[in-house]
Amino acid sequence: MPRQRPNVLAGLGSLIWLLLVGLPLYVLLLATVRTRADYSTEGPLSLPAQWTLQNYLTDLSNGFGQDFLNTLAVTASVVAIVLLVVPPLAYAIVRARGRATGWVFRMFLLGLAIPAQAVIVPMFYLISKAGLYDHLIGVILPTAAFCLPVCTLVLTGAMRDISPELYEAMAMDGASPARVFRQLVLPLSKGGLSSVVVFAALQAWNGFLFPLILTQSDSTKVVTLGLYEFQTEHGVDVPGLLSAVVLSTLPVFFVYLFARRALVQGLTGVGGK
Amino acid sequence: MTAAPKSGAGVTRPGFVWAAPAAVFFTLFAIVPLLLVAVLSFTHWDGITEPRFNGLDNWTALIDDPVMIQSIGTTLLLTVLGVVLQTPISILLGVWAAGHQRNRAVLSAIYFVPLLLSATAVSVVWRAVLDPNFGVPSQLTWLFGDGNLLGSRGGAIAVLAFVGVWQFTPLHALIYQGGARAIPQVLYQAAAIDGAGTVRQFFHITLPQLRNTAITSSVLMVVGGLTTFDTVLILTQGGPGTDTTVSAFYMYQKAFKSFDFGGGSAIALVLVAVATLISLAVVRFTGYDRMHGTTEGL
Amino acid sequence: MGSRFTAIAAATALVLGMTAACGSGGSSSDGGAGTIRVLVYGDATNKVEKQIVETFNRTSKVKVVLDTVPGADYQQKLQTVINTPQAPDVFFNWGGGSIQPFVKAGLLLPLDDFIAQDPGLKDNFLPSVFNSAVVDGKPYGIPMRGTQPVLLFHNKKVLADAGLTPPKTWPELIADAKTLKAKGITPIALGGADRWPTLMWFEYLYDRIAGPGLLQKAVGGDRAAWASEDSRKALATLRELVDTGAFGTNFDSVKFTDGGSPALVAKGKAAFELMGSWYYSTQQDGNPDFAKSGLGYTGFPTIDGGQGDAADVVGNTNNFYSVLKKSKHPEAAAAFLKLMYSEEFVKAQLAAGNLPTTVNTVEYLDTAASPAYSKYQYELVKAAPSFQLSWDQAYPPSAITPLQTAVQQFFNGKLDADGFIKAMQALPTE
Repeated sequence: MPRQRPNVLAGLGSLIWLLLVGLPLYVLLLATVRTRADYSTEGPLSLPAQWTLQNYLTDLSNGFGQDFLNTLAVTASVVAIVLLVVPPLAYAIVRARGRATGWVFRMFLLGLAIPAQAVIVPMFYLISKAGLYDHLIGVILPTAAFCLPVCTLVLTGAMRDISPELYEAMAMDGASPARVFRQLVLPLSKGGLSSVVVFAALQAWNGFLFPLILTQSDSTKVVTLGLYEFQTEHGVDVPGLLSAVVLSTLPVFFVYLFARRALVQGLTGVGGK
Repeated sequence: MTAAPKSGAGVTRPGFVWAAPAAVFFTLFAIVPLLLVAVLSFTHWDGITEPRFNGLDNWTALIDDPVMIQSIGTTLLLTVLGVVLQTPISILLGVWAAGHQRNRAVLSAIYFVPLLLSATAVSVVWRAVLDPNFGVPSQLTWLFGDGNLLGSRGGAIAVLAFVGVWQFTPLHALIYQGGARAIPQVLYQAAAIDGAGTVRQFFHITLPQLRNTAITSSVLMVVGGLTTFDTVLILTQGGPGTDTTVSAFYMYQKAFKSFDFGGGSAIALVLVAVATLISLAVVRFTGYDRMHGTTEGL
Repeated sequence: MGSRFTAIAAATALVLGMTAACGSGGSSSDGGAGTIRVLVYGDATNKVEKQIVETFNRTSKVKVVLDTVPGADYQQKLQTVINTPQAPDVFFNWGGGSIQPFVKAGLLLPLDDFIAQDPGLKDNFLPSVFNSAVVDGKPYGIPMRGTQPVLLFHNKKVLADAGLTPPKTWPELIADAKTLKAKGITPIALGGADRWPTLMWFEYLYDRIAGPGLLQKAVGGDRAAWASEDSRKALATLRELVDTGAFGTNFDSVKFTDGGSPALVAKGKAAFELMGSWYYSTQQDGNPDFAKSGLGYTGFPTIDGGQGDAADVVGNTNNFYSVLKKSKHPEAAAAFLKLMYSEEFVKAQLAAGNLPTTVNTVEYLDTAASPAYSKYQYELVKAAPSFQLSWDQAYPPSAITPLQTAVQQFFNGKLDADGFIKAMQALPTE
């Protein structure tokens, strides 16, 4: 990587990009601490005449708290499901010799190509026939299912990097697959596991389509739907709306602060090393 | 819980049972709906009465439907725009961020923020920012004119492409950053000894080494482009008229707004077929399903 | 490391159990310990609905749970759930074409029995309004909001500053538009991105020029009506208004539903807006000072030589509550519906600027938020020979998207008169 002379063009480019990214963020953050009247009269770019935290308080008292809890429940459940089924699957894909497992892996690879939008109609049909419409579980199950392909890919990638000698060493001890799994595979794929957790959590936290189609009441509303509704009904209250955006992103932001590496890897779907 | 060892004396391996839960779960919630989409595309269903078979009616209607054809064009346009715009920016940003200067780490942190926002949040923010009467265009009329960005075909497409770039370039830049960091330094050192400058090194070493990364990234961009929905729903609702009605949105409209679930399923099937073909092609092309380590794709 | 896996498994079980228990939030028609679900369109009038629900729940064993759905998705959500176990017991609709598919599928409860038990459920409402929810001779809906004629609203100060008075005739409107444009003010605010506000202009122009008969014929299946000379004349007149720049240029990027176009009028950036009478409630919510003292209103300008009566109105005769045939607590639904002609209801609607369609409304007009406004609406609707239902409610729901698309495309020039006529002729009528 060339590192000696400062690259003027690169510097300029990065500045332009900084502006493009920074400007909406500036508007976003600034708007949240202004009053509605101030925003609409002074315009989005000017500094506020007076600062206020009222927007956040109003949002929270308007039911955003419930949205949060719902999203939290969905996220935790999706992560739980993924952690339950994907590690064993990845282990099997990497180590099993049967043809069936090979086909399962191919099924998941192809699953990468299935866009959630495409199956939303039959999904709606299935979920409502099963009586799960407008229940959080009706959102959790499809969301978890659609996380599986990427998570599988990531975790198999991580597990493939465990050297075969280690397996052989354990085999000589007469270890059962379950023991190998617990004592060798899981500890050595921690990086992949954390990527998977983050990826699944992000998919669930930011999921929009399934909640849009499969829920309806306020009691099952998730944060992304809350934003959408806010915008469709009170879009002109930009400070209130953007405060809701900030609130909805705070948890992700905290994860970023404390677990950046896992977050980055989870986002890029990259295997852990 | 295990099958008997199948190969290699004394090597115990997990059996199919380990893969079963995931396989069943996925089949239930992804494969079965997929098959149902195919079935539903041959039915007439309005959501109130039960579905009933109507043969090829949905499909013939689809072929004759000018909006469908337009939506395919729009989807292709946005996807191509996305790839063409995002790839160079992502490569440049990724390679730049792979450098180890301190200020790059700080700036990278800022560039990263769009990734933290959900697609919904991104669209909501941009709609507010670009509002013609109360957003940035109203303050910067010398730049935006009357601010009618979402009211014309060109404007709406430009906005969608721009928001897509804004939202996803950080992701691809990260992917390229990972790829760039993995390029062995010796290559650069050798080139420097030969007297090659920064630009030549970039074109002759960096880019070729990023080939696999580029494939991964491009596939993600294409599949992502095919499934753009959230941004269209929030920013343009497919408008003005049908100018930004991409296929995924048209499917949603047909099914959930015009209550023609059969027709919507036909469109969905087309989407899946295209995405699958692309995926298959790439898997074939890169041999992804053979057992290799991750470093190859990155 | 086994402990880790166990820990994960335990946590999973806990979370899933928790989720299933409390996250089951959602809905079901029998809702556990006796509830009925009521679904309404989400907008500024919800405050009245919430108040009525609270009153009902105070004395009823079977409780009402109120759900609101953002307007743009209302019809979609409704049609999506109507035939599932999660269907609402009672739901908001526009009568006419909007409930036709449900009646045809046998999903709605005819209200004859309720009315037999309590004749007030029919007698207390204006007949013309009540009949909007009568399908195939049977009543399916009880009016539950106010009548919503479409009026031409204006910012009093903007007009006064420009030396103008509200236009009574079409040429006056065009002239006013030109004057305002010269002053740098957008003459007419339009939430084009929502599409249905644009439709209102078509509705009035067609009514004034061609009379209400044209649409009735078209909805009845006579597609040739769209190609008639009157139809073309209406389109040409509309084109003239658009081309003078009366709506500005960025209307397709502005919405009504998120408060965008009302804000333009309230802040004096635009002078007029054509909107249903709920506009008062909307402004009251978003710009209360303006609603109290700055908001003016008139009927739609007259057009010379037109077939329509100058006193005709278009809009929504009212909104209705319909009841699901499969409801588990029809008696509770009937008791809830009784509140729709109660004194509290009438007063609450008036306070929100809406005009209920109960026969006793006129007695309470003085308690309205703006008595002048309510009296004006009342006289207007009373005197109207014809009250044309909004096109997108007169047509069945499957026609809404293509109808709104055609309307938007005519305004932005993508469709000419021929293209528009073709699009309208292609609309499904059942």
